[in-house]
Formats: sequence, structure tokens, C-alpha cells
Amino acid sequence: MKRAVIFALFAFSSLNALAQEKKNAPPLTLKSLEGRAVRLTEFRGKVVLLNFWATWCPPCRAEMPAFVKYQREYAAQGLQIIGVTYPPQTRAEVRKFAKSIRVNYPIALGARETKALFTADDTLPLTVIIDREGAVAGIIAGILLPEEFATQIKPLLEQRSSKGETRNVQKIK
Amino acid sequence: MYRRLNRLALACAFVLTLGVMSAFAVTKTVTIRVSGMKCGSCSSSVAKALKATGGVQDAQVNYEKGEAVVTFDDEKVNEAKLREVINGTGFKAEE
Repeated sequence: MKRAVIFALFAFSSLNALAQEKKNAPPLTLKSLEGRAVRLTEFRGKVVLLNFWATWCPPCRAEMPAFVKYQREYAAQGLQIIGVTYPPQTRAEVRKFAKSIRVNYPIALGARETKALFTADDTLPLTVIIDREGAVAGIIAGILLPEEFATQIKPLLEQRSSKGETRNVQKIK
Repeated sequence: MYRRLNRLALACAFVLTLGVMSAFAVTKTVTIRVSGMKCGSCSSSVAKALKATGGVQDAQVNYEKGEAVVTFDDEKVNEAKLREVINGTGFKAEE
């Protein structure tokens, strides 16, 4: 009986650990507006927010000034936002809007399939949170609220990478 | 003794009635016309922002009808603030 209880407890804790295991973000490579390669792996060691957005999406446009502010305020703590566009839209439209709000982080050109790598949710805007180890720590559908930034992203910024200090990465813009 | 108990019971009933009345008085529901929503994803963004607003108890947003039905505590938030929240999502709360 005692053995059965111990076995059950062991099995439960193993299952629980498996359930809590984070999924690694796919080794994504996209093209920036300027035609440069934006590789997700280059940002390992940083807390990455992959923000899927489109110029034709009003809530996407409405939340982006907050992302500009977060990037400015938390860059030193290792925050890296990457905007990933969602079709249909032209490069010129994207460039014009990004310029109008002075986007201070890379904008990469995405496709429906890019978003599908992370979720089947068709909500826009949608933000994928990737921790310093490159694992998907969360997905926020809809506008990223300040409360969500405080409870889901700030704690990750306060954590050090298990591999030590935040690495310096090449800035792609 | 009986009179004292009677008075106490009356006082309790009065306080209770006042409490219940005030609890009901602050809950209000408004329907706000929202323009620009073209998909379910749009309405979920508006609903999310409204529900995260202090004092909002419920928000049902329908893009086909172009409206948001919001139930809120009018001691904590008002209609003008709700309109501001909707406008902050990139859509327009019509007057």
C-alpha cells in the first residue's frame, strides 16, 4: 500500500513537471523591412516579445506606442520587441506607419504561417512572450494591457538567464 | 426587554435594506455604439480592455451589431471613461 502511494505521488509529480515544461520557440528567421535577416536565436538571453500586428488592424495600431515606450524603458533590462506584420499589407504601408510612431524595434515581415507556428488563435494583435532561454512563456491575445505587462513580462525581465548575464546581441533594424 | 429587541430588529432591518438598496443602485448597464469593428478579433480586443477597467462587471461586445453592452459600478467608473477605453483600442465610441 505504502509503495503504491509513493508510486502514485512520483507519477503525479512527473506528469506535473511535464505539463509545466515550456515549449521552445521555433528557430524563426524573418526578413526585416530593410531586407535584413531577423533570427530569433540571435536574441537568446533576452526577453523577446513577438508582436503580431497589421496596419489594417485598429487595436494593433493603438497598442504600438506602448510597445515603443516599453522598448525604450526596458531595453537595459533585456527586453527585445520584434514586430511581425500580418498580411495583407504593403511594405510601404508598414514603413509609413512605423515611421509615424517612431518604432524603435525591428519590424519583420510575417505571414499567416508565421503566427501559426505559435498558435492557432486568429486574434490580432497577438503577442508571444519568449523567455531568456528561448522558451515560449506565454501568449497574449488582444491588446497587451499594462497589468499583463506587469504580471507576465516584468517578472521575466527581473530574472537572470540561467546561462548568466544577458548577452549582447546584434541590433537589427 | 421585548421593546428593546423589537427596536434592535427594526434597526437591523433598516440597515440591511439600506445596504441592499445601495448595492443595487450602483450597478448600471449601458449600450455604446462602436464603429470600425470588422471581425470577432476586434470585438474581443474591445471586450478585453473594458473588462480590465476598474468597476466594470461585464462587457459583451458584438462586432456585427457594432455595440458594446457594459455593466458597471457607477460609483467606480462612468460612461465617459468607458468611451475613453473603447477609443483607446483604436475603435470609435459613437455619441
